[in-house]
Amino acid sequence: MSILFSANDLSVTLGSAPVLQDVSFSVPESAPLVGVLGANGSGKTTLLRCIAGLVPHKGHCMLHGTPLQQLSAKSLARRISYIPQQSGIGISLSVREVVLMGFNPRLGVLQAPSPAMHAAAEQALAQVGLAGFADRDYLTLSGGEQQLCLLARTLVQNAELLLLDEPDSALDLHNRVQMLQMVSVLVHSSGKAAFVCLHDPALALEFCDTLLLLRGGRLMAQLHPKTDPLPETEQLLAEVFGPVQLLRVTDSAGQLRLVLLPKTN
Amino acid sequence: MTKHHDRRRLAVTLLAVAAVFSVSLALGRYPITLSGLLAGEEMTVRTFTLLRLPRAVMALLGGFGLGVAGFVYQTVFRNPLASPDIIGVSSGASVGAAFAILFISSGAAATTACAFAGGLMAVFLALGLAAAVPGQSKVSLVLAGIAVHSLAQTLLMLLKLTADPEKELASIEYWIMGSLAGITAGRIGFSCAVIVLGCCALLVLHRQLLLLSLQEDEARMLGVSVAVMRFFVLTVATLVVAAVVSVTGLISFVGLLAPHIARLWLRHNRRTACLMSGLLGSLLLLCADTLAKTTAATELPVSIFTSLVGVPFLLYILLSQRGRTE
Repeated sequence: MSILFSANDLSVTLGSAPVLQDVSFSVPESAPLVGVLGANGSGKTTLLRCIAGLVPHKGHCMLHGTPLQQLSAKSLARRISYIPQQSGIGISLSVREVVLMGFNPRLGVLQAPSPAMHAAAEQALAQVGLAGFADRDYLTLSGGEQQLCLLARTLVQNAELLLLDEPDSALDLHNRVQMLQMVSVLVHSSGKAAFVCLHDPALALEFCDTLLLLRGGRLMAQLHPKTDPLPETEQLLAEVFGPVQLLRVTDSAGQLRLVLLPKTN
Repeated sequence: MTKHHDRRRLAVTLLAVAAVFSVSLALGRYPITLSGLLAGEEMTVRTFTLLRLPRAVMALLGGFGLGVAGFVYQTVFRNPLASPDIIGVSSGASVGAAFAILFISSGAAATTACAFAGGLMAVFLALGLAAAVPGQSKVSLVLAGIAVHSLAQTLLMLLKLTADPEKELASIEYWIMGSLAGITAGRIGFSCAVIVLGCCALLVLHRQLLLLSLQEDEARMLGVSVAVMRFFVLTVATLVVAAVVSVTGLISFVGLLAPHIARLWLRHNRRTACLMSGLLGSLLLLCADTLAKTTAATELPVSIFTSLVGVPFLLYILLSQRGRTE
């Protein structure tokens, strides 16, 4: 089983407070979609920022055997793409310009995107369901559309590792499921890996191959929902999210699904 | 649709700039006629080539430079109130000019050189202070700019206190009010070269400029060397402003207003908006300078007219935008 990504003893301290402590895990190529779960303040965003090299930290990460800390900003951007919780786009830009920014790691400072890149940007927009939005002003889009536009930017960036910090936070249920489906297809069909911070454990159980459960800045457990025994998974999730019940059910299409329900008295 | 509209508006603005440039060449204290110029009358040709043309060229390029620099500052700082003075260039230039007037000479060469040096010193001080402070470097830069601006204002006050009220103080005040009256062919060569090269560099780097408008982390994860690129872009924009104000004295409002009008009119931040910002800067300064030299019997400070011309134009654009959105 070859290792796609590994993190060793990642620790981050902000001021004098430790926000991430000795987090170590590895992700095999067979389970590349990783959900990062935890309560508010558990260190989910910090873990992603740490992997991206955006916060000073101890420990190191390897992607396909390459230590990420040794890469330049440009090389890192070719291998990792990052969608923050909220984009900092604060000036009027067209949706096309936002998506074309994804090509920057492959362009020289003075180089302009090629016609092929423009076509790929249109294609990525169509892929996320924003066909015909290219000339719209990014700032006039709804929160959900903005998230989808950033996903299109990530698609054209074509990096090996995707770091998505609550990409579904502004989306309705339909778009939420659609976005995670798109990420899942992308990751499983092209040998990429993705870390997705999620607030909703039910969605994480539905789509992710591996779950990292964080509590108080520590890795509480690494779960494999498709293979781990249900009672054990249920107990670990309950420690973070309160009493929950996990059920394996067969849906109307005859597929076996994992369903999470809150336990009521 | 957008591109077609943009081109038409750019063409209209370019025509307006060309028209005001021609009017500016024709108007002035010494009457110049086209026939006299073509006939090669010595006084007419000398006045035209040594004074009138350099002054109009400086207004054209100076306005363009302030407009483009203003666009850059507002984009990089994501602050609609950012203007070229946000990191202290104008106040530094004022101190340099006042220093020259007091201790070297009130001649054009000394004030230009010292104002340029003062502007650069202020900016490098602000950039250095910001780099020394850990954390949010965009915020640090604005705070450092405010600190340097205040320091320069204090120095300027001290210099004014020691100035002879009859002559030196008046010269300093007049310089601060800004004027293109003293411009001659010999004074503008260096400044024009800096403005043209700087504006070309900024227009070429436009894509990087847009990336710099993102949050620092986001830009970094898109492969931008944020600190290096921001330093470079701001330094070039500042060099352009220093090159303008060292020759003209302080010119208020152009760097703040031109980008706003350009963005309101074109409704985006593409390269055409940056170019439009430069052209509107040229238009504003050419109009203001033409009024400054023709309105009264004596030359008036140009900054009075940049506001007088610019504000109604901004209001017109704002009102017409309101009509469009409703």
